[in-house]
Amino acid sequence: MDIVRHLRYFTVVAEELHFGNAAIRLGMAQPPLSQRIRRLEDELGVRLFDRSARQVRLTEQGRMLLPEAREIVSRVERLRELAGRGEGAVLRVGVLPDLGSAVIAALIAGFRERAPDVRPAPAEMWSADQVAALLDGTLDVGVVRHPVAVPGLRFGPVLVQRPGVVLAESDPLTASASVHLADLAGRRLVLYPHEPGLHEETLTECRRHGFVPEEVHEAQTLGLVMAGTAVAFGPQVALPGLRWRPLLGTPLTWQVSTAWRGEPGEAAVAFGAVAVRVLKENAGMTDDGVAPARRVRARPASGFLA
Amino acid sequence: MTGLGTLFRSAGVTGFLHAVDVDTGAEVAHDADDAVVTASMFKVALLVEFFRQADRGLLDPAERVTVMADRHTPGATGVSAMSDDVTMSLRDLAYLMMAVSDNTAADTLMDRVGLSAVNTMLAGLGLTGTRVEHDCRGLFASIVEDSGQEEMPTDPAVLARLRALDPARTNRSTPRETTRLFGMIWRDEAASPRSCAAMRRLLGLQVWPHRLAAGFPYDDVAVSGKTGTLPTIRNEAGVVEYPDGGRYAVAVFTRSYGTAHNQPRADAVIGAAARAAVERLRG
Repeated sequence: MDIVRHLRYFTVVAEELHFGNAAIRLGMAQPPLSQRIRRLEDELGVRLFDRSARQVRLTEQGRMLLPEAREIVSRVERLRELAGRGEGAVLRVGVLPDLGSAVIAALIAGFRERAPDVRPAPAEMWSADQVAALLDGTLDVGVVRHPVAVPGLRFGPVLVQRPGVVLAESDPLTASASVHLADLAGRRLVLYPHEPGLHEETLTECRRHGFVPEEVHEAQTLGLVMAGTAVAFGPQVALPGLRWRPLLGTPLTWQVSTAWRGEPGEAAVAFGAVAVRVLKENAGMTDDGVAPARRVRARPASGFLA
Repeated sequence: MTGLGTLFRSAGVTGFLHAVDVDTGAEVAHDADDAVVTASMFKVALLVEFFRQADRGLLDPAERVTVMADRHTPGATGVSAMSDDVTMSLRDLAYLMMAVSDNTAADTLMDRVGLSAVNTMLAGLGLTGTRVEHDCRGLFASIVEDSGQEEMPTDPAVLARLRALDPARTNRSTPRETTRLFGMIWRDEAASPRSCAAMRRLLGLQVWPHRLAAGFPYDDVAVSGKTGTLPTIRNEAGVVEYPDGGRYAVAVFTRSYGTAHNQPRADAVIGAAARAAVERLRG
């Protein structure tokens, strides 16, 4: 736990006595701020704020610790100033784990070539985790799968991936060259974890095309598919024990883009450009223009300000 | 509370909840002090100020007004969806505003009551985290300005820049303050007892069955409430009344990761989470 940063959050909330206003001042979303404060309270083993009343108030202990916290925060700031911010620039990058090592390596290599002065610090994270990290400033730029609907995030060009189905080689469906979603009826489905938007959209599309999975597992790997107990959607794979087949009529469309918060720095812009090129060249993604936009037939109960 | 967090997550949403026993103050909270987008739920604050002005004789709820068909606010229900000029009383417009979330009815009342009067009332009641920045017309204009289109967007990149979805820049509240306002209406504290009774009646006439009410499918349980809907936002707050006299104000705010307009699981989890919270309060 970065205790200095948590203490800074504490001092700002103590000044504002309002989580929403403090979050705005800190340039972050409110839920992560609340979580951070809770974590700090756990770490210190005290309650800093009294949130049971309708207003946020400092507890007795919070009041006692506040001057100390201020002192620590300002001293660390001074230390950083004196050190002249030390080491060279770093770009903290989030990438989707399922992109695979070859694509991730190409991303890093491409970025190094383009911005040799900046050290990339990649972390494999799923979309929901990247979004949280982008919002609380622990990530500079990410590669996320849509839909992620969060105020304040900005996205680079949207690329499209058309997943097929990954089957166990023993599955009778491997006899056909392509598979209809309805053919999968009765099977279990493996979906990536921490991709809530994609999860919803994929299941809606499956149900719509006659595939109601027996059970849905969230898993990072294709082990369950290999074991013959489930199927998964994804780009073409060539692994022993697995077979990949395109889906008839390409009913599923996955959209991927870079994401960042606020104005992107120079390094983030460079990474964005590299990411678009690498995802097209090495991951078989295409421009969004090809994805048909779905026409929304509005209904009163879900209409504007219902 | 981890149970509610799991429930919300499994429905593909981030959820915020506050439930409180109207009479004892016992509560269940899940991120209940976070700022949330109210969407249409600001109409409840407008309703309260409307009846308070009626109490003070500043307006006559039975006064008939004509709403011109060419001055409608966008919306798919009530006067907003009608083809011709309509003449009806202010309180019947209030009925349409609550029963079907009629945007034109709400804006007509807001023009009469005044946005700043609503905010003054909220501040006076100590609801400092609750604020009305726009009427329906203003909200719609901000969406058109930010998105460049008149239809409600589904593109994540467009949604991410909508001020209407950012609690800091649109109509907002917290789950706790929302249940507090409902509690005041149910305890006759928000306005005169007669006006509070009128508000309770209107809130009980809301037609939507798919959110809060879906969690309480019992003939002898009354569910009154007001929904809030914008792209990715599905909310409802209200009061659930049991035959033994137990009454609970519940506010559930959700934000979906998916951007589809139809979000049946987000709708349903509002009822499921409310029920889980109320059952906890009832022990």
